[in-house]
Amino acid sequence: MKLQRATFLAGATAAALLLSACGGGTGANSGPAADVPGADGKGEVKGDIAAAWWGGTSRIELTNKVIDMFIAENPGVTVDRQSADFAKYFDKLNVQAASKDLPCVVQLQGRQINDYTKRNVLLPLDPMVESGAIDIADIPKAVVDAGRGTDGKLYFLPYGAAYDAVGVNTTLAEQAGVGTLSEGYDWPEFISYLSKAQEKMPDGVNASNNGGGRPNYFIGWTQANGKKLFNDEGKLGFEKSDLTEYWKMWEDLRQKGVTVTPQQSSEEPTAPDQSYLAHGQVMSDTLPGNAFTPASKTLSGAAPGQALTTLPYPSGPSGSGNALYPSGFAVSANCQNIPTAAAFINYFTNDLEAGKTFASDNGAATNTKVLDAQIADPSMSATKKHELETYKKIVSEDPPTIVFPAGYQSVFENSFKRAYEEVAFGRMSVDQAADKFFDEANAKLGQ
Amino acid sequence: MSDAPAAKELTETVRPESLGTITDDGPRSARQTRRPKSRIMKSKTREAIAAYVFLIPWILGMILLTLGPMLYSLYLSFTQYDLLSDPRWVGLQNYTRMFTADPRYLKSVAVTLVYVAISVPLLLIVSMLLALLLNRNMKFLTGYRALFYLPSLMGASVAIAALWRLVFGAQGLVNQALAIFGIEHGSWVGNPDDALTTIITLTLWVFGSTMIIFLAGLRQIPKELHEAATMDGAGAIRRFISVTIPLMTPLIFFNTLMGTIHAFQSFTGAYVVSGGTGGPADSTLFYTLYLYQRGFAQLDMGYASAMAWVLLAVLAAFSAFFFWTARFWVHYGDER
Amino acid sequence: MTTTTPTRPAARTIYPTKKVTNPVLTAVIRHALIICFLVIMLYPVIWMVAASFKPENEIFNGLGLFASRFTLENYASGWSAGSLNFSRYFMNSFLVTVLSIAGNLVACSITAYAFARLEFPFKKFLFALLLGTMLLPSQVTMVPQYILFNQLEWINTYLPLVVPHWFGVDAFFIFLMVQFIRTLPRELDESARIDGCGHFRIFSRIILPLAMPAIGTTAMFTFINTWNDFLGPLLYLNRTELWTVPLGLSAFLDATSESAFGPLFAMSVLSLAPIVGFFIVSQRLLLEGVATTGLK
Repeated sequence: MKLQRATFLAGATAAALLLSACGGGTGANSGPAADVPGADGKGEVKGDIAAAWWGGTSRIELTNKVIDMFIAENPGVTVDRQSADFAKYFDKLNVQAASKDLPCVVQLQGRQINDYTKRNVLLPLDPMVESGAIDIADIPKAVVDAGRGTDGKLYFLPYGAAYDAVGVNTTLAEQAGVGTLSEGYDWPEFISYLSKAQEKMPDGVNASNNGGGRPNYFIGWTQANGKKLFNDEGKLGFEKSDLTEYWKMWEDLRQKGVTVTPQQSSEEPTAPDQSYLAHGQVMSDTLPGNAFTPASKTLSGAAPGQALTTLPYPSGPSGSGNALYPSGFAVSANCQNIPTAAAFINYFTNDLEAGKTFASDNGAATNTKVLDAQIADPSMSATKKHELETYKKIVSEDPPTIVFPAGYQSVFENSFKRAYEEVAFGRMSVDQAADKFFDEANAKLGQ
Repeated sequence: MSDAPAAKELTETVRPESLGTITDDGPRSARQTRRPKSRIMKSKTREAIAAYVFLIPWILGMILLTLGPMLYSLYLSFTQYDLLSDPRWVGLQNYTRMFTADPRYLKSVAVTLVYVAISVPLLLIVSMLLALLLNRNMKFLTGYRALFYLPSLMGASVAIAALWRLVFGAQGLVNQALAIFGIEHGSWVGNPDDALTTIITLTLWVFGSTMIIFLAGLRQIPKELHEAATMDGAGAIRRFISVTIPLMTPLIFFNTLMGTIHAFQSFTGAYVVSGGTGGPADSTLFYTLYLYQRGFAQLDMGYASAMAWVLLAVLAAFSAFFFWTARFWVHYGDER
Repeated sequence: MTTTTPTRPAARTIYPTKKVTNPVLTAVIRHALIICFLVIMLYPVIWMVAASFKPENEIFNGLGLFASRFTLENYASGWSAGSLNFSRYFMNSFLVTVLSIAGNLVACSITAYAFARLEFPFKKFLFALLLGTMLLPSQVTMVPQYILFNQLEWINTYLPLVVPHWFGVDAFFIFLMVQFIRTLPRELDESARIDGCGHFRIFSRIILPLAMPAIGTTAMFTFINTWNDFLGPLLYLNRTELWTVPLGLSAFLDATSESAFGPLFAMSVLSLAPIVGFFIVSQRLLLEGVATTGLK
């Protein structure tokens, strides 16, 4: 009996697989209908939802605590919790999406959001904001806007804002006699600061990591110099000459020995807490603002006595080069329990106690009340406080909001790094590499 | 093990000398013709029925679990499929794009071919030599075997990436050892010219599985054969060539075929060492790594499926050829 | 250290033309060479074990085996890190592994027997199909398989990890056993058949005991593969209380924030222990056992 049932089931699904395959494009998945009941997030907060996020032990721990608090406040709710490390998280997410089985609540960033909005697998949150199910009153507008898709609708509610900063090993800088960078420093100042510092670096230590292959540094540079990153079709918005100028700047530093060698660059572990900066092997590097605490911790063991600080990105004619990279929760189109999903997102982002518990583990709390409460919290570590205060400063200067087109994370970042690698290893000229990058990126971006 | 006596009893009926001769002296059909015709029919049918009874689980699994997903991926290879929305039929477009408009694809083919050509023979030789070494009688044998096998036990554990950098990094073990001899060398993992070498080394490091299969085969060779050969005055090398090698050919065949298939599909080593990028500068962009990047990161599963089926076609052709060669050099115990 | 076995001196006395060397000396040299080679080969593993006893922020300070102090805190904090719970993960991994091994041994051995010893219609075709399933990279069948198991509502259960083994989806092991069984002389089953043995008896009484090395190898490889499998559990197990050891290990890594390498190495060392133990036991039983009870 049992076997028969299983056989039947499996046979049926195999048939269903093939059927659904052959009927492709019939519009069965023509996107979320805005008029499904509960699309405004109003309704009873009850029943099951699944929530997925990326992160390791500490974030699992903190997120679980917040979920437990949410369940305690809303009896009758259960949450299927799913977590994995960043890259694996997206592998799993895409497999689930293929099975039309995305978790109700999905953590995303602007860097990938449009891969999903383009394919209509997420619900716009605007109706939920209008109905009051999700509150955005205490989140700065520039931050909320980072959760918008290319169509202008809000798809994820940023709860934690990361930014990229320039991490500087102050001990090494002082030993080299270059001191600290002045407030509002620009790229030329930064470059000469690094060059000067290199003259007095200890053996085997470079003044800077190589920023040529780092998309976030490049974004900072374009923002400071008033270049457009992407055009309205989601293709590259800057000129080839902009890119070659940026790469030549780093090539110049590399050839003078100010930066690490290309071999070292490609050998470096990707996690910021294992970077050369965190091991005292370079004096400065771009560093995600929220990696300041873990990087400082690593440095304290790798080079006892040395200290790190983070500064905003260099400025330029167009102002600060800092961009925000917030993470937040989105609601999937296949979600059957939108009211609970909306309530969860709202709770996670806006509740004061939830915010205190989560303690800005993934970027600074976007809700200003939560943020202020954390900064005032005496139990917050000094490094963490520094992260939050730097964020507060950046956000007060009304940072630019970048809408990343579909394919940004998988194509732009990957191609950018590889193309510069070809230059650094001397396999291509700067112009050739720029051509290659433009071809690869424009072929896929925005699709 | 309780059945061992029964087996032993039966083995005693085997003439030991017949084990050593590997010439094809008695085709089974010749023996069968001696039986009455009706009995052959009957026993043949009975045998076929028994065979299919034995095969029930596998056939079920094949149809329900394996074939469906395989055929679905074949269908996907003719579509544009981004995982998130429904597949769209594009005919042969994925296949033609691969060979005409994708330099990274060709790069991945080149990397993989170099890897297969170097790593497979090396792996076979190293594991055979170590299996021979560990098949001797000596002290601490069990311990040695376990220790040689240890790296293979670790699988693709997350720790390996960190360990690998430690060995082949600019400040790594290898360079410190080279420095003793006054040789200076940059990073091995970080240099596009050397990165593939380190992945081949990683493959050799986990030779254990291949070695265990050889070792298990060596244990199965009856000692009497070696003793008989020794009596006939054969030296160690002679015995290896005329006794060990012929009896090992089914497993040599197996390990070569499977090693080649695995090498073509090799993913984990490059994924772990390069952090999934295939870098530096695409020097470790293995076929399946690129396939994975296309399918999962770039959401191009149609293209990835097409890549997979091209690989399947190549491997099928290779396997068919290899099976054909087997008739000339592989000797089975059931051929006597 | 006299390591020569009873059989060898006998062989030597028959052939005195061979150079007579000091057996103790050759043994010492042989062992020294092996140990040298092993140390080089295993240094990364040794380093990992050493690293698991270092204070966390000193782990990557160099290639040395010793840090400023020896500590067990990585083991303590790793074993139950917040909502992670390794006693649970080890139990789960054991469950999945044992069920997978049992499934693989049963399904693969009977399938292999049919292919190796029996004649039946479509044999060549089915064998080609068997091999064909190994040729497609698993990355592309992952998605359809997930859809299938999702339709069966097997997510958050161990069924997707275990059930396929009971249906012999691992063609590798079937092929391995076929190759092993075919090295066994056919006279064995011929004579058994003349004695009136049925196919199942031939399989269970003759082939199975003689194919112990293949059985042991299959068990060993299945243990390693299942124990280390990461992708399957990642896709199919959400709830942390269902997690297996590799999922627990990977949770120590966080590419976006802070990784816990100390606990990672500590738990990696512990997760190696069962496989090493299983290997030592199984090779005693199988590799050694067959030489004495099998074809002698």
